[in-house]
Amino acid sequence: MSKVVKAEYTAEAVAGFNARTAIEEAARCLLCHDAPCSKGCPAGTNPAKFIRSIRFRNVRGAAETIRENNILGGTCARVCPYDNLCEEACSRCGIDRPIEIGKLQRYAIEQEEALGMKILSVPAEKKAGKVACVGAGPASLAAAAELAKAGYDVTILEREAKAGGVLTYGIVPSRLPQAVVDADIAKVEELGVKFVFNTTVKAEDLADYDAVFVGIGLWGPNLPGIDGIDLPGVYAAVDYLKAARSGAEGFNAGNRVLVVGGGDVAVDCAVTAKLQGAEDVKIVYRRTIEEAPGNLNEFQYALSLGIGMTTGMAPDSIVGDGKVEAVNFKGFRDEAAKLTLSADTIVFATGQKAEAADFVAVDVTDKKTIVADENGVTSVDNIFSAGDIVNGGKTVVEAVAGGKAAAASIIAYLEKKGVK
Amino acid sequence: MAIKKDLSVTYHGKEFMNPFCLSSSPVGSNYDMVSKCYETGWGGCFYKTVGIFIADECSPRFDQTNKEGLPWLGFKNMEQISDKPTELNFEYMYKLMRDYPDHVTIPTIMGSSEEEWKQLAKMCDELGAPMIEGNFSCPQMTSSAMGSDVGTNPELVKSYCEAVTSVTKIPFIAKMTPNITTMEIPARAALAGGAAGVSTINTIKSITNIDFENMTAMPVVDGKSSISGYSGAAVKPIALRFITNLLQDEVIGKTEVSGIGGIETWRDAAEFLALGCKNVQVTTAIMQYGYRIVEDMISGMSHFMDERGYNKLDEFIGCALGNIVPAEDLNRDFKILPQFSDDKCVGCGRCYVSCYDAAHQAIDWDADKRRPSLNDKCVGCHLCLNVCPVKDCITPGEIVWKEGRQQKEIALKHKYD
Repeated sequence: MSKVVKAEYTAEAVAGFNARTAIEEAARCLLCHDAPCSKGCPAGTNPAKFIRSIRFRNVRGAAETIRENNILGGTCARVCPYDNLCEEACSRCGIDRPIEIGKLQRYAIEQEEALGMKILSVPAEKKAGKVACVGAGPASLAAAAELAKAGYDVTILEREAKAGGVLTYGIVPSRLPQAVVDADIAKVEELGVKFVFNTTVKAEDLADYDAVFVGIGLWGPNLPGIDGIDLPGVYAAVDYLKAARSGAEGFNAGNRVLVVGGGDVAVDCAVTAKLQGAEDVKIVYRRTIEEAPGNLNEFQYALSLGIGMTTGMAPDSIVGDGKVEAVNFKGFRDEAAKLTLSADTIVFATGQKAEAADFVAVDVTDKKTIVADENGVTSVDNIFSAGDIVNGGKTVVEAVAGGKAAAASIIAYLEKKGVK
Repeated sequence: MAIKKDLSVTYHGKEFMNPFCLSSSPVGSNYDMVSKCYETGWGGCFYKTVGIFIADECSPRFDQTNKEGLPWLGFKNMEQISDKPTELNFEYMYKLMRDYPDHVTIPTIMGSSEEEWKQLAKMCDELGAPMIEGNFSCPQMTSSAMGSDVGTNPELVKSYCEAVTSVTKIPFIAKMTPNITTMEIPARAALAGGAAGVSTINTIKSITNIDFENMTAMPVVDGKSSISGYSGAAVKPIALRFITNLLQDEVIGKTEVSGIGGIETWRDAAEFLALGCKNVQVTTAIMQYGYRIVEDMISGMSHFMDERGYNKLDEFIGCALGNIVPAEDLNRDFKILPQFSDDKCVGCGRCYVSCYDAAHQAIDWDADKRRPSLNDKCVGCHLCLNVCPVKDCITPGEIVWKEGRQQKEIALKHKYD
């Protein structure tokens, strides 16, 4: 019998390093010339530098490097797909296994907190420019922090009651504890960024700002048009995770739960269900494991919790009398394959759709995502955008990278316009 | 915004932007190298030792020691003084002084006779060097008229110092060898010969490993090897000991000492400063990791000062020296019992093994629970604390006073890395 892990919904699944184990891990680092790990980080967090600092007994310097380069350093330490980024690039892979970069980043950020460090500051002389960031997710937080560090007056306008976007309303807290998200957001607040919550932005709200950053993410549910899709017990991942995270009244994670999808969000939904007490949880993905966009470590974590995974099957219809009772699947490529699973809950983690950003008149794609270049420049001079609403839904670290790049574009725009 | 602190320090009348210098060695042996080191952040450079003698080097010339997979605990080096023409080295130093006026470039020289020492000192004088270091300590010279054999002979040290200081007013620093019991003797001789101060330690004569393929030491040079200098992290404790002896000497203690030996981090450097060194010199860690290590020295030292509320290095330079006392002056009236955390303990039993086999059989072992407990044989030696692999599992606990001794407030260490 396999021994599965018993975990709690809100308790962090992975234990961190202490001073001794961190330096042991840092001592494994090869201290590469022109380090590939640092080149592998989209947000420019510079792992080679912070690992070197840990190794040379300068953990405060390590925290400084991370926080200065990546305002969401604590969050990224938990949710980055390292095995596709810095850790995949790690030269130590040529010897045995990569340095645990994410865990070292987490350690340094934990020390920042433990040592009461205040790393970031705003210039004494403020700039005249006012910038609005719409949405309080990773891209907006990163853009706002960069702008505030440069001395601009920044206001974040958010539809929900709390900041964080997917960090607060999506990712399962056993992977990303809320306290970590809140600590990162507090760094943005300490830079003097103003937050306005529970507000639906209209075009006229933005009239007073010299520039606007749009980082509204993707929050439209994406459900297939199959029979039974309207039955109670059918959820889109965004709604399911948000209800679980916010402890919505009457929300029941389900007992026999099927999650459809192959990304990290699918794992988050399955883990949420399992840790909220579901007896039987399965992930069903239409393609193969190698084609799955999710992080293999996350699938392994799901497996360790006793969550099953079936590949090659796509949902065909949902059946039930007034509520979900079973789901019929058919082979995605294998025409002979048929499968029926009993379930009381089915969650579709098959991507999110863009909701119309009708408060700005920017060019959008046919999927309603915003057209912007890699520097966040849109079709309108003073409107900038990045993150999921531009890239169609990628990682937190890419949203941070996009937010940083857009902030640089905004600064260049304001300087050119003479709003200094 | 990265923390910035004033790390400047004055050494023999010259201001250094920070106390981190290269020591005279392969790491600072031409213009491009030293230029790069300055750009990376080093405050000064004791340039690779220049002589009239031009070295003829062997190959290979390095070896290193390791323990349980951790390389470079110590490093063996057979390289001698510069193998470049003397004039070329002086040309490089001239250009460095011209192009980097805010950094301190210091020639290190070595003669094999009074005449050579005078000749080299005159060249430094013409160069306008801010100070001169005299190398009395290289243990692998092919000439016995040079190097550490000279450094152990106080008469020779004195006469060569006199030779130098008779031809130049530039402050002269004698670099001392640790291959001696009492370094104060040649150091006093150097001062008596007119030296302004000393720097130490140079490398320690060593055999690092025996190669069984060739039945000789490492490195193997055509089936043979030689004794030569040992450096790196392993020698730091020896360096700190010599420096303590020097700075506690009433004559030498009035001069400014430059500290060398196994420095890799800001913390190592701060230890040398806490004993009273005005600056530090580094080679081996640069050979292993490159000039970039100075970035964390600068940042780490700045954070240390910020945390402790120091505005200048001088506020803590020398503050540990007076607390190192002769063994007979230690308070021996108490013992501090270790305390064991059952929660943190992982049940390895290493404390039990070491206490039984190497200390006082003061730990009892619960085989079922796999946990140690202290019995009344404990003498408070803390071998267990040192061997425990878990952070903060064994910590200093109850203080027990010896029968009839006066109890009073004592200073304790609380935090262990």
